[in-house]
Amino acid sequence: MAESILFIMTKAPYGAEDFFAGARASLAMLASGLVGRSTLLLVGDGTLNAVAAQDPLTIGMPSNVEAINDLADFEGEVYAVEADLKARLGEVKVLEGVKLIPWEKARELIWEHQLVTTF
Amino acid sequence: MAKTLLIHLRSGSMMNMDSNVTVKLARAALSKGYNVRIFGYGEGITVIKAGQEPKRFPNVGKELEELVQKGLVVVVCETCCAARGIHRGEEVNGTKIGSLTNHLSQFVAESDKMVTLAR
Repeated sequence: MAESILFIMTKAPYGAEDFFAGARASLAMLASGLVGRSTLLLVGDGTLNAVAAQDPLTIGMPSNVEAINDLADFEGEVYAVEADLKARLGEVKVLEGVKLIPWEKARELIWEHQLVTTF
Repeated sequence: MAKTLLIHLRSGSMMNMDSNVTVKLARAALSKGYNVRIFGYGEGITVIKAGQEPKRFPNVGKELEELVQKGLVVVVCETCCAARGIHRGEEVNGTKIGSLTNHLSQFVAESDKMVTLAR
């Protein structure tokens, strides 16, 4: 019986539905009240979803910003591996509610959660 | 008490071998006495569409229908179905169109292990 699940997000925003779908699934875990801890971990290209300056309205796609904000409303945790984001964009501001972490902390998160899935 | 395996399928029925691997994994786990749940999300919802007639490939729909008789539980995402024009009444016998909040969260809470199959 699982009380926690980690969603590892590996895909860049808007080219595919993966991030939005994963964030919505994570939100559903928390909204249901059946899963106590549901966490997003952004790695690789997935860290691009954390960029504060994204403006999905310009391309008419569902907003990842809204998806992350909705998670915050349910006290969902969202982490991004800082080194992966820096390697792609250098120093950039991230969305409120996203915590930048080193890979060591990411490994700890994987160990802490009973189930792990990837998007 | 039997352990529970959750298979999270996000590839379409004819997209690649993921749906076939899902069926084989479910069959093997059921034969060993596990409870097995499949949740189809994104393109993974297409496995429950009735009337599949692949000419040279395994018929995933028919295989799922057979395994449901042996205790397999198959639910797919309602929102993903609506987006792809698949509606209630069009699903393979014994499978179900459900939701992230009511079904995936319940499956996660009840599972000991989770396997994700996605392209």
